[in-house]
Amino acid sequence: MAGRRLGRWAASVPMAVLALATIYPLVFTTNVAMKTRREYILDRFSPADSPHLENVSGAWNSVGMARYFANSVVVVTCSVFLMLLIGSMAGFALSQLRFRGSRVVFLGCLAALFVPFQVIMVPLARVMADTGLIDTYPGLILAYVAQFLPFTIFLMTSHYRTIPAEIVHAARIDGNTTYGVYRRIMIPLGVPALLSVGILDTLFCWNDVLISLVMMPSAEHRTLMVGVTSLRGQYSDDIPTFASGVLIAAIPVLLIYLFLQRQIADGVTAGSTKG
Amino acid sequence: MPVGRSSPSVRPADTGRAEGAGFEQRARHGGTGTHSRRASRAGTAAERLAPLVLLAPAVLIIVFLRLWPLLLGVNFSFTGDGARNGTAVGFDNYLELLDDPLFRTALGNVGLLVVLLPVAVAIPGLLATFIYLRVPGHRFYRSVYFFPAVLSPVIVGAIFNLILAFDGPFNAVLGTIGLGPVDWLGDPGVAIFTVVGVQIWATFGMALVVFLAGFSTLDPALLDAARVDGASLPQTVWHVIIPGLSRTIQFVFVTTMIGMLTSMFGLLYVMTAGGPEGSTYLPEFYIWTQQGQMNRPALASAASTVLFLIMLVVGLAQISVLRRSGGED
Repeated sequence: MAGRRLGRWAASVPMAVLALATIYPLVFTTNVAMKTRREYILDRFSPADSPHLENVSGAWNSVGMARYFANSVVVVTCSVFLMLLIGSMAGFALSQLRFRGSRVVFLGCLAALFVPFQVIMVPLARVMADTGLIDTYPGLILAYVAQFLPFTIFLMTSHYRTIPAEIVHAARIDGNTTYGVYRRIMIPLGVPALLSVGILDTLFCWNDVLISLVMMPSAEHRTLMVGVTSLRGQYSDDIPTFASGVLIAAIPVLLIYLFLQRQIADGVTAGSTKG
Repeated sequence: MPVGRSSPSVRPADTGRAEGAGFEQRARHGGTGTHSRRASRAGTAAERLAPLVLLAPAVLIIVFLRLWPLLLGVNFSFTGDGARNGTAVGFDNYLELLDDPLFRTALGNVGLLVVLLPVAVAIPGLLATFIYLRVPGHRFYRSVYFFPAVLSPVIVGAIFNLILAFDGPFNAVLGTIGLGPVDWLGDPGVAIFTVVGVQIWATFGMALVVFLAGFSTLDPALLDAARVDGASLPQTVWHVIIPGLSRTIQFVFVTTMIGMLTSMFGLLYVMTAGGPEGSTYLPEFYIWTQQGQMNRPALASAASTVLFLIMLVVGLAQISVLRRSGGED
């Protein structure tokens, strides 16, 4: 008994070290962002003597981070809204309605889940160029929706399968059409799943760099993550400003994580237990 | 309520996929007697089309922007670039890939990922075990470990560029315990291990959460029995936890492999750009360079097809393993 307890404490030591290794890189970056260039060159490890927020405001104003941030917010908001709308409609149809071909459609969605962007990048860029959608907001939004919709459909379908047919049935007896059932039953009952899928989709889109790089080549259309990569070249000798740019891009994700950690974990595990 | 499953729901096959749902019929029999005949027929048409309407946007997007480009890309990989644009060149692109040392490095690195895969699965598995066994502070660890998993590869890469710089904090810490500075990102023999290490740092929290969800389905009575029988921790892990979690473990293997094959672009782009000396190339980075920098879209498509085949092997391995374990159940 005592040995077991000792064992637990022994395991706790490497775990604590690992926890430190998980947090420290971010603490270090935050600290660097708060230093002046001179301070950074003299000693990069010591805590900043006072927080110099001018790096952050400098990165925000002069490098175009504000513009990139706005681009990301617009694109991610529209993409996630469309994914949830289209995904919940499809999930409802696939889980609660019986019709010819429903199995084929579901298997098609599953197959699409295993087609990564890298595999279809070249032809997709060509299709977007042919239709004039490349380097436009709708083009990038469509690319994101296409990329993460199968995952959204998959999770919404498995969530809606848990809704008993009796509820749908009762709603129909009350005179609801299929669309009425979708609006009055499926949307409200789908909220927990919509929330956790929506958060995951938001993270996927916000964190993406490759799709954005391919679909939005011009500088003024850069999303935030592409903007961060371009910072590095511009500010290779001004590390505090660079670190500030990184921090700006990380803060929204940090906030989502702090407040919605549970929903994120729910979404991740829903994919695993139902897969 | 045994109504409605007879004649009205049986239609000729040529009415297509928009056939009404079974329970619609029942509902109509039960509830809509007051409607006029015409209104209810219009309602029926709309109702019958409902699944089609609900699915149309999803199907259109997936077919035209995911599945169709896949075929287009395979087709494209058998045509030429530049002067030979559009003409059929057979397997020339694939032969060129095999000749290209960069692509061979990329494939070799995929092999390395496969070799390192058990490590990338074992780390979160072991940590999840400790957390499940309620190591002091397990709640804290759980939420701290998960944190990097939500960060963009770009941010992770940028942070580790600072940490792993030759004169950065990591080498400074190593220096205090007498280990010489290592050029983590500049040494061709080291850089790929550095990038994979950072990838594991960034994603082990995701696998950890999946493992913990698997643990919650484990029968606690088995663990109690093991404890009563005086099993040591390694014995418990080997004889109780691993067999009980076999599905979860397989799932983590496959998702981790897929993650390594398709979500390291951001890290490579920010940390090494494929260097030093092309040593950190992976297929996805190769595809991007050939498409964007080298203007060789057809060659890039061939590399895409190879990557897809690799993914297919991973996916099929998953299915066959699941089948086999399903047979044992």
